[in-house]
Amino acid sequence: MHTPIPSLASIHWAVPPSTLQRPAIRVLPPLVADQIAAGEVVERPASVVKELLENALDAGATRIEVELAQGGIELIRITDDGAGIPPDELPLALAAHATSKLRDAEELARIGTLGFRGEALASITSVARVRIRSVAPGHEPSEIEGAGDQRSAVRPAAVARGTSIEVRTLFFNTPARRRFLRTPATEQTRCMEVVRDLALAHPAVALRALCDGRETLDLRAEQGPRARALAILGRELEDNLVEVHADEQHDARGVSLWGLVGTPAVARSNARAQRVFVNGRAVRDPSIQHALREAYRGLIEPGRYPTAVLMIDLPPDGVDVNVHPAKAEVRFRDQGMVHSLVLNTVREALRRADLTPTLAHRTGARPAIFGPGDGPTDTASDAQSFADYFRRDLPASTGGRFDYQAVRDALDRVLTMGSKVEPAGDASDERERPDPASPEAAPATPASQLEALPRRDHLQVHQSYVVAQDDDGVVIVDQHALHERAMFEALHARITAGPLESQSLLTPAVVDTSSERVTRLEELTPLLERLGIDAAALSPSTVGVRAFPTLLFSRGVDPIDFMSELLDRADADAFVPDSEEALREVLDMMACKAAVKAGDRLTDAEIGALLELRGSVERSTSCPHGRPTSVRLTLADLERLFERR
Amino acid sequence: MRVVCDRAALLEAVNLVSGVVASRTPRPQLTCVRLDATSEDGVGTLVLSGTDAETSMRLAVDRVDVERAGEALVPADKLRQIIQAEDHESTLTLEADGDSCQVLGTDARFRVLGYPASDFPAIGDFKSAVKGSAESAPARAVFTHNAGDLSELIARTIFATARENSRYAINGVLLHKDGKKVEMVATDGKRLALARSALAAPGAGDGPVKCIVPTKALQHLQKLLGDDEEPVRLAVGENRITFAIGASEDGEDPRALLSSTLVEGAFPPYQDVIPKDQDKSITFDRDLLFSAVKRAALLTNEESRGVRLEFDSAGKKLRLSSRAPEMGEANVEIELKEYKGDGVEIGFNPGFITEALKVINQPEIVMELKDSMKPGLIRSGPDFTYVVMPVNLQ
Ligand SMILES: Nc1ncnc2c1ncn2[C@@H]1O[C@H](COP(=O)(O)OP(=O)(O)OP(=O)(O)O)[C@@H](O)[C@H]1O
Ligand SMILES: [Mg+2]
Repeated sequence: MHTPIPSLASIHWAVPPSTLQRPAIRVLPPLVADQIAAGEVVERPASVVKELLENALDAGATRIEVELAQGGIELIRITDDGAGIPPDELPLALAAHATSKLRDAEELARIGTLGFRGEALASITSVARVRIRSVAPGHEPSEIEGAGDQRSAVRPAAVARGTSIEVRTLFFNTPARRRFLRTPATEQTRCMEVVRDLALAHPAVALRALCDGRETLDLRAEQGPRARALAILGRELEDNLVEVHADEQHDARGVSLWGLVGTPAVARSNARAQRVFVNGRAVRDPSIQHALREAYRGLIEPGRYPTAVLMIDLPPDGVDVNVHPAKAEVRFRDQGMVHSLVLNTVREALRRADLTPTLAHRTGARPAIFGPGDGPTDTASDAQSFADYFRRDLPASTGGRFDYQAVRDALDRVLTMGSKVEPAGDASDERERPDPASPEAAPATPASQLEALPRRDHLQVHQSYVVAQDDDGVVIVDQHALHERAMFEALHARITAGPLESQSLLTPAVVDTSSERVTRLEELTPLLERLGIDAAALSPSTVGVRAFPTLLFSRGVDPIDFMSELLDRADADAFVPDSEEALREVLDMMACKAAVKAGDRLTDAEIGALLELRGSVERSTSCPHGRPTSVRLTLADLERLFERR
Repeated sequence: MRVVCDRAALLEAVNLVSGVVASRTPRPQLTCVRLDATSEDGVGTLVLSGTDAETSMRLAVDRVDVERAGEALVPADKLRQIIQAEDHESTLTLEADGDSCQVLGTDARFRVLGYPASDFPAIGDFKSAVKGSAESAPARAVFTHNAGDLSELIARTIFATARENSRYAINGVLLHKDGKKVEMVATDGKRLALARSALAAPGAGDGPVKCIVPTKALQHLQKLLGDDEEPVRLAVGENRITFAIGASEDGEDPRALLSSTLVEGAFPPYQDVIPKDQDKSITFDRDLLFSAVKRAALLTNEESRGVRLEFDSAGKKLRLSSRAPEMGEANVEIELKEYKGDGVEIGFNPGFITEALKVINQPEIVMELKDSMKPGLIRSGPDFTYVVMPVNLQ
């Protein structure tokens, strides 16, 4: 495990060196050294799964089976049909710094295998009970066992082909680290993520996974990455995926890129649905994530992440894989080139793809009387509003149409004249803005019509803001932001008194999701109960909602949409189900969905009620998004603006 | 075309047809009403048609004097506004030639620019719905019901349909016909209403048919239904349903014709959600329960919507209560006519109870329960069954 290294400054200032009893420098016993090294390699069951799978792939396996018990905490067994290990090399396989994949430093510069350090099995054995059974062609099938610094003799064993490696009771000799493991369900999710990642990158290999005896994955060998990706991501996503492609011919340096990227419709609230592979290795690479985000600029809202599977292949000497202890990061020789390759290829593919959403017509086929293609559908106006949605992120719109962003920016500008304001960061509810094609969304009122407005002490403008006056001047309220904030406070107060009231359903509302999310449901249950949501797994990949808060129902919130978003958010690493933060995050989401939207026309009574909320909300300190719910232009501000002073 | 019309009859017809014409469409012809004036043996008829591609309506007005037969295609909105504004007239004259139509009163003349009548999509008649046409297969079932029973079937179910479009709820009512039995079923996922009635004759078509009729179409239909005894012919096709109101036996010359696309998709298996093992049965005076629930609901709000029902089996009493933390609480106690089974406590959305009671016309109803987590059942005779899921009160 990483011992946090205190900064030099704190060492220097904390204790005067002269008062320290200095222990002598000693060489660590080998087991302790290995365990410390293991901390870098083996963090959790998923890291073991990754190392063992990489070994099987390096051994040229065509069929691999993964078995887990208790999320891999009790048992991980990986069986392959690869080249095997001869009996005399078995002790070396468990020894540190022993590998068949690398001979000299020169080879380190062009690694073509997934493993190269000769360290994985040694590290794993230092913290778990390991048994290898293997047969190499022309040799006797044999086995060896190891645990901590103990090693068994090499014995004959019954193995038909390939290698089977078993890892039991991970961290049996380092209890502190065992305690840090999450629930079996979570660990299993992590393990399966690793399996899926490697499966994505190696489509020709058939893969099967069993968790506590139940089959959770069965992938046959595929011809190419597309078929494998669809098998893993789900075929129903196919219409929402755009293929990206750039091969060596495009680039003299022999770099190729292939991938599937999601349409804006399937963008997620976290970056976990982005999978990047370099030469068959799953990596995290901030610069590639950045390139993706850039490619989608203007297509998805800030704060959402495009889904993507990207595979980059390049000659081994174009990339340094020896930069991260768990081999999870790489360093490109020419970082800029890879960045622009991803950016340009994805951007170009998105530009060419038809991103107009297909209108799912709920009722019946269009009657034939309209002939093909000229039916009285609303396609034209919908396409228009969709286009407007994209256009929103462009600077300065000159048309007469209401531009949400421009209004926001203008308000921000006005505001910064008086007081300090936080920038309007979260724009996630902008999609709720008025549909410009609807009859209610009239074009901006020309100034000459202003006097015709009814005399009231408040005014709703563009069905999004309420303008009112108080003793100091003019107050402009963002109707959604204020209502959301008030709802949040009310929900938060309500939930501390007891769970929310919930309405049972006749039959469960079915949410399609992934099997990982289904396994995490159990952890979420106490939180869901407080929220008035009764949900249970219906199948390995579906969740049924059996009861849902009456409040959300009466506000027209769809339980399926809500639940899938909730599962999505709960998938983020930072989401700890029983924490206050998680509760706040979900209440915030509830409040956002239940609150009036920008674009909702409000009656006078509703506006009055909303303005009344202002007092109570502004006093409270907590605020879901940290952005203002109302802004004030004081009379002094106005005087300054009109250059009266 | 030149037709003298009774203004009131014309206004009513235009109002009904305007209900279906499209309001937002790139094809302006679809925002129009088509007028067809015919005269046969001295009897004149003016037929108004409108469509929004999903629903189509044709309505005959007979309080007219057709001086010259012909047709016109006029923007529905303008036509309606003019007829409405001419409220001092007892008759109005419609005169059309070419693409424009004039509305003539005694002191006013309006010329409304329209479109050639041939631009309007043809609306199939009942016969083509039955026999099939180039575009559609013959009907799966054709049968007749009387307007009174049909209207009651609709009223007893339509209130339980989902109010808003959502992914888990269906925006329509199931129509299930089997022999001489017709059933209509509606649900919004939280309650389910089932109404039955019997046909005089099984009609044509083989075997039972099930289809989901859009809520909107049934709302239009209800407005078209008049006299209880008037016959309504129904033709259920592959993806369309057609109603001929006031038609002869073969569906000819109906007073009104309504046709609508059907909702695609499967209706939930509703028989499965009707509980069969309820062990508590309460007989209520309908009006008493209605008033008690209404009063108890006075102190509910959005976050605390439910009303608690506590049944006291020994005392044959029901105590209803509600509590909204920041508002107050309500308690109502009523006597029960009859109570079988142990006492029980259960929460319901009060609106779900009162809405069902409103469509029941018998003075007595039966409520059956099991426990606080299980669905409640309300029955009124054999023809109305209502399942309502409880609210989990905290
Ligand atoms: N499934 C397997 N089939 C065949 N040989 C294997 C298998 N697993 C391990 N080996 C052999 O054992 C050696 C040690 O494996 P280990 O994973 O410890 O190191 P490595 O793969 O060489 O490097 P790294 O530490 O980067 O993973 C490998 O070099 C390989 O020769
Ligand atoms: Mg290895």
